[in-house]
Amino acid sequence: MATSAQRKPIRWHIGVLLAPAILIYTVIMLLPVFDSLRMSLYGKGPDGAPMFVGLANYTTLLTDSYWQGPFWNALWNNVVFFIIHMLVQNPIGILLAALLSLGKLPGREFYRTALFLPTMLSFVIVGFVWKLILSPAWGVSKTLLGSVGLGSWFAPWLGQPDTALITLALISVWQFIGLPMMLIYAAMIAIPDELMEAASCDGVTGINQFFKIKLPLIWPSIGVVSILTFVGNFNAFDLIYVSQGALAGPNFSTDILGTLLYRTFFGNQLQSGDPFMGATIAGAMFLIILCGVCVYLYGVQRRLAYYQM
Amino acid sequence: MGKLVLEGISKRFGAVEVLKTVDLDVADGEFIVIVGPSGCGKSTLLRIIAGLSDQSTGKVLIGGRDVSSQPPSKRGIAMVFQSYALYPHLTVEGNLTLGLKQARTAASLIAERVAEAVRILALEPFLKRRPGELSGGQRQRVAIGRAIVRHPEVFLFDEPLSNLDAALRNQVRAEIADLHRRLGATMVYVTHDQVEAMTLADRIIVMNGGIVQQIGTPSELYRRPANAFVATFIGSPGMNMVPGTAGGGVLTLAGSGRLPCSAAANGAVTAGIRPNGFEVLPGGNDGLAGTVIASEYLGAESFLRVRLADGTVVTVHEHPDHGWLIDQPVTLRLRPGNLHLFDAESGLRIAEGPDAAAQPAAARVA
Amino acid sequence: MTQGIARRFQISTLAAHLVLIGFTLLALAPTLLVIMNSFKPRKEIFGAPLALPSFETITLIGYDTVLKRGDILHYFQNSLIVTVCALFFIILFGAMAAFALSEYRFPGNRLIGLFLVMGIMVPIRLGTVGILKLMVSLGLANTLFALILVYTAQGLPMAVFVMSEFMRQVSDDLKNAARVDGLSEYTILFRLVLPVVRPAIATIAVFTMVPIWNDLWFPLVLAPGESTRTMTLGAQSFIGQFITDWNAVLAALTLAIVPMLILYLMFSRQLIRGITAGAVK
Repeated sequence: MATSAQRKPIRWHIGVLLAPAILIYTVIMLLPVFDSLRMSLYGKGPDGAPMFVGLANYTTLLTDSYWQGPFWNALWNNVVFFIIHMLVQNPIGILLAALLSLGKLPGREFYRTALFLPTMLSFVIVGFVWKLILSPAWGVSKTLLGSVGLGSWFAPWLGQPDTALITLALISVWQFIGLPMMLIYAAMIAIPDELMEAASCDGVTGINQFFKIKLPLIWPSIGVVSILTFVGNFNAFDLIYVSQGALAGPNFSTDILGTLLYRTFFGNQLQSGDPFMGATIAGAMFLIILCGVCVYLYGVQRRLAYYQM
Repeated sequence: MGKLVLEGISKRFGAVEVLKTVDLDVADGEFIVIVGPSGCGKSTLLRIIAGLSDQSTGKVLIGGRDVSSQPPSKRGIAMVFQSYALYPHLTVEGNLTLGLKQARTAASLIAERVAEAVRILALEPFLKRRPGELSGGQRQRVAIGRAIVRHPEVFLFDEPLSNLDAALRNQVRAEIADLHRRLGATMVYVTHDQVEAMTLADRIIVMNGGIVQQIGTPSELYRRPANAFVATFIGSPGMNMVPGTAGGGVLTLAGSGRLPCSAAANGAVTAGIRPNGFEVLPGGNDGLAGTVIASEYLGAESFLRVRLADGTVVTVHEHPDHGWLIDQPVTLRLRPGNLHLFDAESGLRIAEGPDAAAQPAAARVA
Repeated sequence: MTQGIARRFQISTLAAHLVLIGFTLLALAPTLLVIMNSFKPRKEIFGAPLALPSFETITLIGYDTVLKRGDILHYFQNSLIVTVCALFFIILFGAMAAFALSEYRFPGNRLIGLFLVMGIMVPIRLGTVGILKLMVSLGLANTLFALILVYTAQGLPMAVFVMSEFMRQVSDDLKNAARVDGLSEYTILFRLVLPVVRPAIATIAVFTMVPIWNDLWFPLVLAPGESTRTMTLGAQSFIGQFITDWNAVLAALTLAIVPMLILYLMFSRQLIRGITAGAVK
């Protein structure tokens, strides 16, 4: 792959090829991210001009009685949001992938297309569709549950503080179930048929075959799905903003870091915008995501062996 | 114990018949090689024996037991796959033991079986490694080891050498032959390579187009091929096939000359002569007239390419230092007993005479 | 004789179908419910939400309200411009950088590669504060170009990563044959290598296009004005206004769903192939 061009003068084309990507990436993405992080170290001085305050904003965020409550609340909600994704999305995704990769299941293209469809819809559509469906005013959920004799189970889940977050997490799982399904499905169909035949000669069949042969071989894909889910969840904003508004009601019970960042930076009915504290929250999110990614890269991924098949 | 019987096995996918009725009796300890070009149905047949594919009709009996509706693991078989199909996430040891553990075999017995396989195949240094860290030849040995520990009644091999390079292929082939001798187990081995078939087999099954062409020992197949397909498929370089007409004990080869032949032949025939069936004489002698067009020197021997008068090119075995020149006219004389005659239309062998008919009919032509 | 195997097989297949049908219904029902009810009069939306719209009562009153008040077509056009332009730049600049990184050995190659790929894990949203400041100072606030720039930056790391992986597999002989024939490095990239890595381009298009089209955050922050509103933002603010007019809300949702639905059904085969091929890599 190396052109033995060490002796030639300067290979201008390398610079020309790299320049646009590096320029746009650096100017539009990296510098603003660092600028935001830098801004979290500043505060409003007495004369109104920005003033370097060190880590004071972070201290404020974690300890000040005004900021502390909302921040821990949003962080905890975000953790719950992520845990629900991991517990519901991945097992169902694996189950669907396993079913789709069963032999030559007729109709699998149809199932794949249908199951992936919600992933293509925007949060706006998903948020509103579910808001309408779960709305007691319309009552379609109650009718549906009633038809299987569970009418009494219905409650305005999105309107109650103790169920709203879980409901939203499940809506998000509903929307994104297609991604883990497809990624794991791809890993499963990459396992050679002969390996499965060897397993059945060894008497390893059915459920055993799944747990002893297939599952160990798809761990890397499950790892990738998990880190993608982590980054996506700690960045989430749209779904909650659309269905519960910037105040992440009822009573902030669905507030996550994304909505807190938006409210803090741009202000809302309750407070005016504070770019410095907004940047601080963004900084905190950055650190959390960085930690997650590091845990994945050094703790998880290294232990996952990528087998040559 | 390790007797394998196939009764009327056939396989069709919809309207396509990929395997036409196969009957086979494999004796205990016999090494059977199924050989044929790709797509001839040989792998399908092996997969039916293993229970990985369902047959459309017929029965599979192993050790006198009808296993037709048994899953692969209950058939008393072990299979070595073309791609080895080792479990990539398990160590060599894990690969060897998974099947036994699955069958809840006692730990002491597992240890004993593994030790045996390790001893036979010299796997000791690799036990803790994973397949990804092994070379092709080592993986192949592990795949064979995984078969050995099962103590199967029948070993099945699906083109086990085709992923190895040429040098290694000869070595592993010798190892498999040695293994068969030591274990004395029944083995069914599928390959497209007739050299593997000839060197390994007690008996060979030649298949083409889903039909068994001939079943017999290597020497039977070589000396008395049942039809033109077997004649050209077995032996290297292949048998020369020259069109001709027979009648009254005389064979007339298109434009080249006349030879005495069996009186049974009549009408259009194909004459088959192996490269070593000719004697090369200077031009103008009595025999088939031709011109030397190429000479391939192989050290211990040479092969001449000779164009006959009608344009047919035949390959002739010669001494390495034969002295014939390119473009030199020569005469090919047939050595006695080296002429095979096949019906031009059906390709079937035409019996030579009473002594030939007395031989056991090994051929079973569909 | 082989019935035992066959029957077991059929039962497990049947169970698989039942589970898959259940989840498929769950995936499709909400969307179908909204589309169905958007054609019904208010009384039926509430009285019989699960019934199909009947011929006697079918109504377009919701669509009437929506089309009179909002400029859906204009929003659609904005979204299309942003998505297509961003996709174009991502693939063009991404391919150039990926080619430079995978083809030539030069000092800093690995470092630049890591620098670019790092962006996959850094969510660009966290730079929103800085991006807004930058766009305001460049006079690009409330323009579609601002969105295109942001989405291009956001998509580049993934594009460079995937394409350089694919480009490493393009045969050296092919490129060297071209060099012997006197083709320039640029011609080799655009005429030889790009066509060969088309599957990678499909994968990238899938992975970048959907989030761009569906994004609400940056349109809300960078281009909230009426003239630059994207489909997603338009639908969001529009539905917010009509939240009590059920006919209008259902109609607006249907109008937002249908273009995506049509696009998806047209390209789902390529899309799914792209995802699975990308994942196998």
